[in-house]
Amino acid sequence: MLKVLLKKQISEAFRNLFFDAKNNRLRTKGRLILWVAFFIFLSVGVLGGMFTFLAISLCGGLASVNMGWLYFVLMGGIAIVFGSFGSVFNTYSSLYLPKDNDLLLSMPIPARVIVISRLLNVYLLGAMYSALVLLPTMIVYWVTVGATAANIICGLLFFLIISVIVLVLSCLLGWVVARISLKLKNKSFVIVLISLLFVILYYYVYFKANELIRELIANAAVYGAEIKGSAYGVYLFGRVGEGDLPATAIFTAAAVLILVLMMLVLSRGFLKLATASGSVKKVRYTEKRAKLRTAFGALLAKEFAAFTSNPMYMLNCGLGTLLLPALGIYLLASGSSVPAILNMLLPDKPGCGALLLCTALMMLSTANNSAAPSISLEGKSIWIPQSLPVDAKTVLRAKAAVQLLLTEIPMLFAVICAAIALRMPLAETLLLCLVPLVYSAFSAMFCLFLGVRYPMLQWTSVMAAVKQGAAVAIALFGGWGVTALFAVPYLLFGYQLGLSLYLAIWAVVLAAAAVLLYRWLMTKGAAAFSRL
Amino acid sequence: MLRIENLTKAYGEKKAVDDLSLNIRSGEIYGFIGHNGAGKTTTLKCVAGILGYDAGEILIDGMSVKDQPVKCKSALAYIPDNPDLYDFMSGIKYLNFVADIFGVSAQDRQERIRRYGDLFELTSDLAQPISAYSHGMKQKLAIIAAWLHSPKLIIMDEPFVGLDPKASHLLKEMMRELCDNGGAIFFSTHVLEVAEKLCDKVAIIKQGRLIKSGTMEEVKGDDSLEEVFLELEAE
Repeated sequence: MLKVLLKKQISEAFRNLFFDAKNNRLRTKGRLILWVAFFIFLSVGVLGGMFTFLAISLCGGLASVNMGWLYFVLMGGIAIVFGSFGSVFNTYSSLYLPKDNDLLLSMPIPARVIVISRLLNVYLLGAMYSALVLLPTMIVYWVTVGATAANIICGLLFFLIISVIVLVLSCLLGWVVARISLKLKNKSFVIVLISLLFVILYYYVYFKANELIRELIANAAVYGAEIKGSAYGVYLFGRVGEGDLPATAIFTAAAVLILVLMMLVLSRGFLKLATASGSVKKVRYTEKRAKLRTAFGALLAKEFAAFTSNPMYMLNCGLGTLLLPALGIYLLASGSSVPAILNMLLPDKPGCGALLLCTALMMLSTANNSAAPSISLEGKSIWIPQSLPVDAKTVLRAKAAVQLLLTEIPMLFAVICAAIALRMPLAETLLLCLVPLVYSAFSAMFCLFLGVRYPMLQWTSVMAAVKQGAAVAIALFGGWGVTALFAVPYLLFGYQLGLSLYLAIWAVVLAAAAVLLYRWLMTKGAAAFSRL
Repeated sequence: MLRIENLTKAYGEKKAVDDLSLNIRSGEIYGFIGHNGAGKTTTLKCVAGILGYDAGEILIDGMSVKDQPVKCKSALAYIPDNPDLYDFMSGIKYLNFVADIFGVSAQDRQERIRRYGDLFELTSDLAQPISAYSHGMKQKLAIIAAWLHSPKLIIMDEPFVGLDPKASHLLKEMMRELCDNGGAIFFSTHVLEVAEKLCDKVAIIKQGRLIKSGTMEEVKGDDSLEEVFLELEAE
């Protein structure tokens, strides 16, 4: 029974990789290889590269003073935070929200078996996140110190122990989110607010951790002795990575024990949470004269309703709406100090401060990608726009308009703040304002293009459409790629052109790309949407 | 009102609908029956403009669904076999959304929502989110939404599934009323007794091909529709 459920869970988790939703068939071998290569590039190349760099900068110094255990404690800690915070909402939606909960609960399957199969999904995601940190950690250690049978076996067990800790923390936090959601059903904004507090806490810890790491390296011997004295468990935990067999045995046994305990607790609470509908008061309808809208207005309102009713959607695809004004206010408050600091980073590259600020605005704009999953989110309701007397172009325009409104308004505020803070010549100021605004328009078209090209209409959890679709992944990483393409050439050679000309070229390129994508959407894209 | 000429629709190699022709006039309730996978839903989706087709033509009031999809859709309403509506909306928001798309005036929509909402005993639940509705309530809401713009043609896929006996009875009355006022209805069903009592005409489809059609008397003669259907299926 468990095998069948696990097979179902795994096939669902990786469905998008093997299945071409657009053509309703399995991907060909060639396309599958391309997809796998693309995801490997994104995860290993981008995130893995970042953690490899961190591992290299920590490992040599600590290992040379015989404090490899501290290296494993630090990297293990990062892996735990990265893995568990990264999969909180996945845990919540995978464990308690899937559409097949009722179906599975109606079958003669013990709750614990359903929990195990669901947990596998959560485990895989958490393990994937932590592997991005731990694989470079171990490889760098083995290369620096030398690989032995003991440190390889213990290193692998170290990864398994951490993946269990990540799973436990994810489940615990997911359970908290599930409890909160039960009490606050249909109060999406409150859920978003709470989630944002989590995000702020995450980044606070992240930045503090960086400070702490620097401090620890500077005074490694002192802190090492203190940790050994007052938190021996932490020391032992780090020793696992170094290949200490007794420490490995203790932590492996503890991980197994925690896993079993968690399974027991979840099995008991699962049925109650999975079937609960919350204590929401029934709202009685009172007749009111309706506010008339045009077809476009109605579609736009529908898209906004879809966005604001789903906290996952808002958090994953609309964070830029809050971050852009926040950056604007920060720039105003800090005056010209931020651009001055940025300019000081590369004093031989004139205008680099303004350019980096522009890049930062574009990066934040990339956090808004509501158009990318908007087609997938139609799901089984896609028959509605397809059967109504409204052409596909209008439906697509409404989807793009949501992202444009969510991004361009805060972006306008942010660029005005940036312009005030930078105090540059008029032409440069105008171009500095124009490029992020044009980029946001390009981004909306690009996201919608991806949404049409890579729709995923068959899902059992809304999370799959919002987070796991190819459109969303490409929109996010592709957006970062474009911003990198914007910034890096300037720092290498583009500064020779001068900031104004460089920005003007990019404004034209981005505007042309946006127009081309819009034309595609209004012709081939609309036809493709009608055929979905 | 609805003319289907030599309609052919294939999924890859498999022909779901094969050279199907039907003519549905104003005032007719036209039943469409066949076993599971016979091609009923595909035909209905092609008529509603949801699916494209490979050959043939579908004309609504003389307009081609292929050439003038938006105009054709303005004249019809479609109710799918499973009412997957927008769960994030309340019932009233969904009805207003549909009314906005069809350009129904404020007065007309208010009057029709009140009338059909009361008939189906759904009015008090209209402020509730659709996610809180039962299958039957969603089906009732889909029916109200379909009737909201007074369509000339209604396409329905298994419309009685999930409805309670009272709502089923009401729906039959509404179908008859719409056709008496010059409209037409084309619907699929597996409930042969309902088809026999309600339909003016009926078409039987098997493996995508039309095997019999005409008035109820022409199709069944002195036998019951069930006997004729089973006999044809066995051939």
